Amino acid sequence: MSGVTGQPAPGAAVGVASTGTEPGRPLLEITDLRMYFPISSGILISRHVGDVRAVDGVTLAIQKGETVGLVGESGCGKSTVGRTILRLYRPTSGRIVIDGQDITWAEGSTLRAMRRRMQMIFQDPYASLNPRMTAAGIVSEPLEIHGVGSSSERRERVRDLLATVGLDPDYGDRYPHEFSGGQRQRIGVARALALHPDLIVADEPISALDVSIQAQIINLMERLQGEFGLTYLFIAHDLSVVRHISDRIAVMYLGRLVETATSRELYDRPIHPYTVALLSAVPIPDPAIERKRRRIILTGDVPSPSDPPPGCHFHTRCWLRARLGNPERCVVEAPALRELASGHAVACHFAEEVDGSPEQVLQVTGEGMGGSSSRRADDSPTGRVAAAGPGLAT
Amino acid sequence: MHLLSIRDLVVKFRTHDGTVHAVNGVSFDLDEGETLGLVGESGCGKSVTNLAVMRLLPKPAGHIEGGEVVFQGQDLLRLDESEMRDLRGKEIAMIFQDPMTSLNPVLTIEEQMVETIRAHRRVSKSQARARSLELLTMVGIPKPETRLRNYPHQFSGGMRQRVMIAIALALEPKLLIADEPTTALDVTIQAQVLDLLQRLAADLGTAVILITHDLGVVAGMTSRLNVMYAGFVVESASTPDLFARPRHPYTVGLLHSMPRLDAQPGEPLIPIEGVPPDLRRAPVGCPFAPRCAWRLESCWTGMPSLEPIDQTAQIVTTGPNVTHRVACWNPATPDEAVAARPLREGFTPAAAPAEAVA
Ligand SMILES: Nc1ncnc2c1ncn2[C@@H]1O[C@H](COP(=O)(O)OP(=O)(O)OP(=O)(O)O)[C@@H](O)[C@H]1O
Ligand SMILES: Nc1ncnc2c1ncn2[C@@H]1O[C@H](COP(=O)(O)OP(=O)(O)O)[C@@H](O)[C@H]1O
Ligand code: SF4
Ligand code: SF4
Ligand SMILES: [Mg+2]
Ligand SMILES: [Mg+2]
Repeated sequence: MSGVTGQPAPGAAVGVASTGTEPGRPLLEITDLRMYFPISSGILISRHVGDVRAVDGVTLAIQKGETVGLVGESGCGKSTVGRTILRLYRPTSGRIVIDGQDITWAEGSTLRAMRRRMQMIFQDPYASLNPRMTAAGIVSEPLEIHGVGSSSERRERVRDLLATVGLDPDYGDRYPHEFSGGQRQRIGVARALALHPDLIVADEPISALDVSIQAQIINLMERLQGEFGLTYLFIAHDLSVVRHISDRIAVMYLGRLVETATSRELYDRPIHPYTVALLSAVPIPDPAIERKRRRIILTGDVPSPSDPPPGCHFHTRCWLRARLGNPERCVVEAPALRELASGHAVACHFAEEVDGSPEQVLQVTGEGMGGSSSRRADDSPTGRVAAAGPGLAT
Repeated sequence: MHLLSIRDLVVKFRTHDGTVHAVNGVSFDLDEGETLGLVGESGCGKSVTNLAVMRLLPKPAGHIEGGEVVFQGQDLLRLDESEMRDLRGKEIAMIFQDPMTSLNPVLTIEEQMVETIRAHRRVSKSQARARSLELLTMVGIPKPETRLRNYPHQFSGGMRQRVMIAIALALEPKLLIADEPTTALDVTIQAQVLDLLQRLAADLGTAVILITHDLGVVAGMTSRLNVMYAGFVVESASTPDLFARPRHPYTVGLLHSMPRLDAQPGEPLIPIEGVPPDLRRAPVGCPFAPRCAWRLESCWTGMPSLEPIDQTAQIVTTGPNVTHRVACWNPATPDEAVAARPLREGFTPAAAPAEAVA
């Protein structure tokens, strides 16, 4: 796994030793985290011509035993947040503190020790499992790397783990290709559990699975959380799934958090114009409801993180800004994530102008935006074209 | 006469590790201007059904083994390749999940659109170009004059899908088959594309077959639904009826296993246990039997045909009053559909016959 970022190494500070779990202290705290990937050009001599600002100042705390959902559209930086927390990358700046211990620049044995406490479940259960290892070998590997137990103890533990995730322990000697997608994801979950982690970062753990299998894995993760007191950072683009599994939700747009709230509050009282649009865009499997719903159809595409718009990253597609007569402030000043109600924070200069469900918002703001009138969205001068990838600006 | 009538379509793939029974006798009708959803999870035969209609099955593995595909009174399975080529694009168009598979990466959008139009219509290059410009404008591509000269890779995923829609509708086809057109797109972009698709199809009176695994998408987009499982249509109804009164245990399972955005927090999900069947085995009995809580002994041996729920009903196969039909020996009652399990006193699903276990 690549840990190289090409960033100038900031003064390496070694993490402070853990001071033991304090009640009320978050298990994980990230502060103003940035992760930029350099873009270079030139064939012989490569020059640093810019950065993909995958994560651009994210602050988030996760309490022990909690599930925080991270949602946002493709490329907005969700996976990079997860991978940076696990220190698979060396962050560009910011702070990552787990259980009181600063691991932002941790290296060597300190980092290895911290990694025992944080594990990852990946989207593609096939690509993330070594095809040449048996299921038992895959689950046992972290135990071996960390020198846990004797080999017979490890064997016993692996059988336990397989049973825990709902696999027949006798299947341990089979290879990944002999399992279905859902079973492979169970192997990934068993591997993540092997070292009794505190925090599990699950990056789109069900996106690659058949619809009928997704609920099996969601229920498994919920059961394991109860059994082992796990804390989850659950990354997904599907807001319905995230809302189901999460206690709190953080909505991300182009490298930044735009809104954080409890699942209930986010659905009942979304405030950020992006969240409001996102909620209105998620289809609900109920024709009676769908017929009555009005959608906010956003203008244009998501801009490229290599060239994010100045000020508020969302201003190129923001319907609220358009309603307010395109205030200049959105273009020149990045809105801070402000707490507007207890536990509900929003990054919008004009957050006070929005209050309520998408339907209420549409009523308050007048003209409907769904159905036929949504054509406007495309003609809008604010529609911007996103680059297909870093450095491919149109 | 219906616009499209598919009868007993059977499609198999012959591969090095056996025969894949992809489509096992699918029948349905479609009228002009109707929007039909085909739903079901990955591998259930949605795409293969429609590739067979277009006669675009991958060769040499894919075989249409039987059935009829009658489009405007003509059995497409009997046409020769040049007649079929004539029809594609002009009468029946298709858009795919990944537009890059159908866009040519080395031609500009203009070249591709002009080529498509001129392949079927006697118009000059400049007329075709003017039409292309009109189409790009219609699908909401900003700066269409400049955009015509771009290559596919210069567009984002959502824009490519709009371009595909523009090309698909260029000749005002009677039927548009949209195979997971928004699955690869973000939800806000999906909303843009679906909105566009719905609006244009309604304006042009195009019939649409919308293929998706997302029940949310079909809920808002279609008037009729076919639920597919393991190469069979297992339930067919109007969209409102199917969501309000699902009867097939698989449909019931699907509806309960997906979290809904508007669910009450803490509402549990009820997964469908087990895994989808391996289509390399010839179907014996109901393919859902190993996963079904309603199963009877007969389910292991005989596949039920698609029959009206109200057996006395006159069967209507299209339109808003389409007859609700289900292929099941023991359909869920309305109460059971709500509870997602059989509610009959002492009922247990029939055990597999001995030889099936061995
Ligand atoms: N190793 C890397 N080198 C360069 N750029 C990267 C790297 N990893 C991610 N990026 C870029 O950073 C941005 C954020 O990527 P990330 O994978 O975090 O997005 P995501 O929100 O997880 O998206 P998705 O929903 O598609 O998984 C993207 O523009 C991506 O192309
Ligand atoms: N080219 C092919 N060769 C062999 N099997 C195929 C091929 N294409 C599709 N299949 C099989 O046919 C079945 C139906 O596939 P498909 O129609 O693509 O499913 P979906 O419902 O996801 O669209 C699956 O079992 C699939 O693996
Ligand atoms: S700060 Fe301005 S552009 Fe950003 S979300 Fe708020 S209103 Fe929209
Ligand atoms: S009851 Fe029988 S026929 Fe109906 S879905 Fe279940 S197994 Fe199939
Ligand atoms: Mg990702
Ligand atoms: Mg398909």
